[in-house]
Amino acid sequence: MADIDDGTSAPASEPLDLVRLCLDEVVFVKLRGDRELKGRLHAYDSHCNLVLGDVEETVYVVDEDDEDEEAVKTISKKSEMLFVRGDSVVLISPQSPS
Amino acid sequence: MSFFGFDATLPRDRGHNTSAPGFAQPADPFARPHDGDDDDALDFEDTYDGLGDQLDETDDVFNDDTFGATETAASSKPAVGKDFDFFGQTAKVSNAINEEAARFTRQQPVRTAPVPSYTQPRPARTGYERYKEPEYVPELQADANLWGTAPKRPAGLPDSPATPSAPASGRKMMSLEEVEAAMRAQKKQAQPAFQGQQPVTTQPQVNPQYASAPSVQQYQNYPQQPFPGAPTAAPREDLRQAPNGPASQPVYILQRPQAPPSQPNIPTGPAQPNQILQNQNRHTSEQHRHGPSHHGHRQHGSRQHAPIITHPQQLANLSEEDRAAFLLEDAKRAKRNHKIFLLSKDNGLMTPQDKNFITRIQLQQLVTATGNPNEHGTDSALSEDFYYQVHNQIRGGPRQHPGQPLSNFAQTYLFQTGGRHGGMRRQARGGDNHMQRMEQQVQRAVEAAKNKPKNKQLVIEGSLGKISFSNAKTPKPLLNIKRVESGSDVHRPGSAARAASDRKAQKASLNGGDRRTVLSAIESVYSTLMKMEDHDRKMPPPLTDDIDPELTGRHMDWRAENQRLNDQLWQQLKVHEPIGATHTHPFIAFLSYSKGKKAIPRVFRHIDHQQRTTILTMIVVHLDQLDVVRNAQLLSGETHLNAGIRENVELFSLAVMPSLFAYLSEAGLDIVTGVLGLILGINVDVVARTRIGVSMLTMILSRAELIKQAGGVNQQEWEQWVSTYNGLFDALEGTLPTIFPGTVNTGEDVYVWQFLAAIGIGASPEQQQRLVMAVKDRVMETVGLAKTLPPAMSSQRLANVNLFMRSIGLDVELLA
Amino acid sequence: MENGSAAQGEGRDPSGFLSEIIGQGVTVKLNSGVVYKGELQSVDGYMNIALEKTEEHVNGVKKRSYGDAFVRGNNVMYISAD
Repeated sequence: MADIDDGTSAPASEPLDLVRLCLDEVVFVKLRGDRELKGRLHAYDSHCNLVLGDVEETVYVVDEDDEDEEAVKTISKKSEMLFVRGDSVVLISPQSPS
Repeated sequence: MSFFGFDATLPRDRGHNTSAPGFAQPADPFARPHDGDDDDALDFEDTYDGLGDQLDETDDVFNDDTFGATETAASSKPAVGKDFDFFGQTAKVSNAINEEAARFTRQQPVRTAPVPSYTQPRPARTGYERYKEPEYVPELQADANLWGTAPKRPAGLPDSPATPSAPASGRKMMSLEEVEAAMRAQKKQAQPAFQGQQPVTTQPQVNPQYASAPSVQQYQNYPQQPFPGAPTAAPREDLRQAPNGPASQPVYILQRPQAPPSQPNIPTGPAQPNQILQNQNRHTSEQHRHGPSHHGHRQHGSRQHAPIITHPQQLANLSEEDRAAFLLEDAKRAKRNHKIFLLSKDNGLMTPQDKNFITRIQLQQLVTATGNPNEHGTDSALSEDFYYQVHNQIRGGPRQHPGQPLSNFAQTYLFQTGGRHGGMRRQARGGDNHMQRMEQQVQRAVEAAKNKPKNKQLVIEGSLGKISFSNAKTPKPLLNIKRVESGSDVHRPGSAARAASDRKAQKASLNGGDRRTVLSAIESVYSTLMKMEDHDRKMPPPLTDDIDPELTGRHMDWRAENQRLNDQLWQQLKVHEPIGATHTHPFIAFLSYSKGKKAIPRVFRHIDHQQRTTILTMIVVHLDQLDVVRNAQLLSGETHLNAGIRENVELFSLAVMPSLFAYLSEAGLDIVTGVLGLILGINVDVVARTRIGVSMLTMILSRAELIKQAGGVNQQEWEQWVSTYNGLFDALEGTLPTIFPGTVNTGEDVYVWQFLAAIGIGASPEQQQRLVMAVKDRVMETVGLAKTLPPAMSSQRLANVNLFMRSIGLDVELLA
Repeated sequence: MENGSAAQGEGRDPSGFLSEIIGQGVTVKLNSGVVYKGELQSVDGYMNIALEKTEEHVNGVKKRSYGDAFVRGNNVMYISAD
């Protein structure tokens, strides 16, 4: 605590601190397998296991149509509450991407 | 003791090596304990050739047991022996000589068994002497049953007058043909002595020939029995008088089924339990002999020894047919007995100790088994085979050198079996010893298995530093990143970038708007809150009237810690940051995050009244800067706030306002007046057009009204309040028509009517007039709308308006 | 800390290097091929990375940008200082 409670709060000193700052905030989570989640971060641990609330999940599926053009299809799902196992997490970002 | 006055004891007989290790060491089982009475002229050291140190004489104290030394042997010097080779050359190989002798006797166990000990000075100890000793009665009794006798040990052979054969050891064993021939010769002899020939009946046991277990001695003697006692004539009795009466039937169930079932006229006595499994031949003859008339005697089993007997005369009394049948039967019996003898000649070879030992060896092999499948060479396979080794040693694997000791196997196996004579004590201890060794080995094996690292964490030290593999439970860091201590590292060379980022952070924290800074502050506040809440749970029990120094001390400690945490929390809340130094006050930034808002109720529980006042003051002073006020202004044309802001407003109403309200409801009028005065200092127009701002005003006004109604208000304070109120009224009057959110249709204006009611109560009649004028339009719109609405909603709307109308003494009914 | 203290001053070992480049612009490539460019906020022993002002490039094309980004260490292929 001592390094934080001084007046000029230091920037996050380790990466997971960044995740902690996202607690109770809406986060964007990139998962393996072309999946993305957006939801409120309720809890996390050092493995990046996450509990997200009001989650919108987006899955990107590549469809090869007749002309060999790759059309990326997106599938959206909504979940009230989601537990994400840490090993599938690639990236966590505090706000939704712009 | 010596002719020349030398110390004639062999060097190896000296210097009992008490520290000699266990059975794995070369043992000298022949060594005698050093008697210690050699006070001769020659010093021990002069003749000592050092061999004694190599000897293991661990169990030599039991030599007397083994060799049957007399009681006095311990005190008197043992015979010197025949070795007068003073150079000790013979001594060096005497071990080997004796061992070879032992092995030789083992190889010729029966036919060439050495004459009993009294005819030979003293054979090398082989571990099997006992089996040759005439008085030896084996402890393993199983075989005795084969011979149809109860395994009664007390029946010492030497005691038996009916064992003339016992001393006659050394006689040749006869072949089956010889036995038959002898029997044929016997039958020619007179038979009248049938009964008279019986040996004295006081003999405690059956004929020793049958009573004995298969000791070597007895097997040697076996074929000679027909000559002196002619006991083998018994079968004749069987033929004539097979005596199986019904009464005795159960007894014979397990007997050999050779008894002819004829001649039922012979009644049988009660069964004798110890005859179960006995040889039927002898048994039946015995029964016949005694017959019913001897019934009384029968009870004394010990006197019933069975002179099976028969005199050749008996045979002569038989008819030719019977005789032929008898002879045939006799021959069969002898043949069978011989066969049994051959089969059982090794019975009792292994004592329990031996078996114990073998178990140990097997265990050892089990423990040390390498199990390498590549080592299938015949030699290695053989060398690991215990039984091969023992066989090799016992059957005479050649020794290259006479001094070469027998292998450990042979040593232990051949020379460590003695000592039974000394009594059960020795044996029991030996058994314990083996058990202990076995247990130790098992223990060692288990420990070795335990110590064997199971799945030791693999740690590789390489260019990437220490890389350790890990499991999912405890992921190991791949790198040792030195934690950057902000501030201390700034001055390090090569960290300009970090210094820059620190400066940036500094700047960010200065303007207070830096998102991460605020979030960090919030997290630190939460951490402290959790500590405080935890600390609350550790509050010591309340102080009692009794002065308990220890409890008082705990209370003092607890309070000190509480105060420390409170200070920490207060610092982290940054309420005391200078106002105006930054664009947004840190505390207001704190409140702009939902989790900051959520922290307020918990913060209020852990701060004192003064701190609450300060927080309220801070909020009121920055009311127009709060996100729920600043961002909650409805722009022209907008009827609804966006969802995020509405959420924040809702959260603020639920999380922050109740805390403030609870505080204010206990505050005095001076504070209420002060708070209201602060609001006058800011942009009231902005505040009044938000739900939070209006709610705040409502809260303040109604508290003042409650204080007034409670009475006892200081006149001066009241006047101060009134003047402040008037200031507010004047500032608000122009804004009043626009403080309603959205249109009349949205129906979210309840809080405005509440505010108008609060302001109307405190207003002077003149102010009330102005109030009505300001909101007249909205009142009329609402009443008009209510008429078009369903009754429930209509009355709801009208009730809302009436909140205000009644505060100024009016009613919507009047408008209708 | 065993290897860190000895060589860190020179930046000769990975930990030292990573400590040195904190605050600088970095390029982080993931095993999936995705590249993130941004300012390195922090790294930990698991190679978890926090980036600021991050741009996400997929196949050389900028896809997204993040104010802050936490990248889980097991996905990281390399970290390079710009």
